[in-house]
Amino acid sequence: MVKKRSFLRSAGFFLLVVLIVLFCIFPFIQMLSTSFKYQWDWGNPSLIPTQINTDAYKELLNIGQDLKNVPESIIELLENTPDMTRAQKDQILDKYRSSGDVFPFPRYFMNSLILSGVAALMSVIIAILGAYSFSRLRYPGRATVQRGVLFVYMFGGILLLIPLYKVCVGIGLLSTRGGTFTALLIIYMVQTLPVSLYMLGNFFRTIPFSIEEAAMIEGSSRFGTIWRIIIPLSLSSIVTVYIYSFMIAWNEYLFASVFLKGFKNLYTLPMGLRALFVSKNAVWDRIMAASVLTAVPVIALFMGIQKNLVGGMSEGGVKE
Amino acid sequence: MSTFLPASSLTREKREVMLGWGLVFPAVFIILALILYPIVYNIYLSFFDVNLHRGNTFVGLENHRTVVTDPTFWRSLGTTVVYVVFTTVGTTLVGLVVALVMNQKFPLRGLVRSLVLFPYVAPVISVVFAWQFIFDPVNGIVMDVLVERLGILNTRVNLIGSPSSAVWIAIVFSIWKNFPFTYLMLLSRLQGIDKNLYEAAEVDGASGWEKFRYVTFPEIYFVTSSIILLRVIWNFNKFDEIYLLTTNVRVLSVYTYFKAFVGTMEMGQGSALALIQFILLIGFILFYVKKVLKW
Repeated sequence: MVKKRSFLRSAGFFLLVVLIVLFCIFPFIQMLSTSFKYQWDWGNPSLIPTQINTDAYKELLNIGQDLKNVPESIIELLENTPDMTRAQKDQILDKYRSSGDVFPFPRYFMNSLILSGVAALMSVIIAILGAYSFSRLRYPGRATVQRGVLFVYMFGGILLLIPLYKVCVGIGLLSTRGGTFTALLIIYMVQTLPVSLYMLGNFFRTIPFSIEEAAMIEGSSRFGTIWRIIIPLSLSSIVTVYIYSFMIAWNEYLFASVFLKGFKNLYTLPMGLRALFVSKNAVWDRIMAASVLTAVPVIALFMGIQKNLVGGMSEGGVKE
Repeated sequence: MSTFLPASSLTREKREVMLGWGLVFPAVFIILALILYPIVYNIYLSFFDVNLHRGNTFVGLENHRTVVTDPTFWRSLGTTVVYVVFTTVGTTLVGLVVALVMNQKFPLRGLVRSLVLFPYVAPVISVVFAWQFIFDPVNGIVMDVLVERLGILNTRVNLIGSPSSAVWIAIVFSIWKNFPFTYLMLLSRLQGIDKNLYEAAEVDGASGWEKFRYVTFPEIYFVTSSIILLRVIWNFNKFDEIYLLTTNVRVLSVYTYFKAFVGTMEMGQGSALALIQFILLIGFILFYVKKVLKW
């Protein structure tokens, strides 16, 4: 590094960097490109669409879809009968709308958002208490708890899937929509809990104990110091862990595929996309647009917390 | 601490124990109830003919025997081993090269470093379709290059469609998806290496390779072997990255999934499979920790 690099070597080096970047982002470019292409353009290997097609996005986000599938004669009829009430008109239009409803993206998006958002929140709250306990307090059994959390890394989803499914069916949780949703919520919380505990534990250890001690001498209780000192001081880390947990839940497919089988209304985005892909409505531009819209929130969140997250992961807080 | 009287410090210690367990209790309870208990329950289920509606019938080791005598099991175990070996070697090598590159100074390094993490953070479900499109026999760019531009193949083939080639696509996909993690871990270790070591090696006239072999390598040995262990554990259990890309690659997790949740839903046999997979993994971990990590 101190040595001067010859021109050839640095050219080779830059070529390598370019190759690495291309390898990493080519599938993303392909995804974006295909989502904007018309069907006749798919076989064209060029990544720039010959003509921009935004139909797929409009369809997914439900923009301008109101009258798309309604036959013209019906529209004419509706326009020419002014004495019909608005409710009646909507009722007639709804008939056509529902048949065009092939992939309710906004609903799946909301399901994923609520499920991941709430599961991550519960996970982080429980993890704050737990991580504080084993990074700050001394008690017998603490090391066992800490090691136990690491142990959980070894278990694959499939090992937990069959027994958990059996239990949930056994107590009748999966026969109602609310029960199914709750079951999945709890499972997602459990899946993200070990990582949250581990990452937060590492973050809390970096806060000097003397600050806390000072507060306690002033008469603050333990809960008081957690609330007024630990949480404010590690807020950015807590947000990082929250978002990381959110991302894990957002990406989850295995449990969703088994638990949500019976409830199409509860499908999360991974479930919905998979169902779309194997259905007869599978069209590349629509699939790619849905993929882009699924990836964008996660990548945007990641960019926001990148610096903290990379630090946290290097300390060993990861889950796959 | 000296400001506290002995008597009050004793109660304080006691209170600390109480508080410690109290705070960690919800987390421990949840992990015990929803991770440890299911594993025990899975072992229990593997001895039964499981029926969701009519209850279980005890069959002893019948499930385990049925599963192990099925040649499909051995084939999927073979696929799993191939998958794990090649993805682990691949992610480690690519991760190492990228980490060495990113440890150098070059323009736009910050941007490049975050772009490299994209495959790792993007949802599996959204990137599998891009990969399927790339390898699509009709529209994909791979067939376009191999058939039309280079003429290596005579006809367009469906690489993801046939099981023998699909496993290799799954391996490349997994390397692409997971090498950023290896890269991150190695980069943070590389940044911690004392620069003086390299200068000393240069004074001794070490070549680039020798510097890597005698300075860098010993420094990253432990972290690399830990990452390899994690990668083997994760990829041995991997489901979604394979199943969502192609259902043709029947590694153990996918095989178990089909056994337990598709068709006749043989949950007892599924449990037995999951248990066998778990035991194989534990065996490997114990061996690896002893031989490679030398704990």
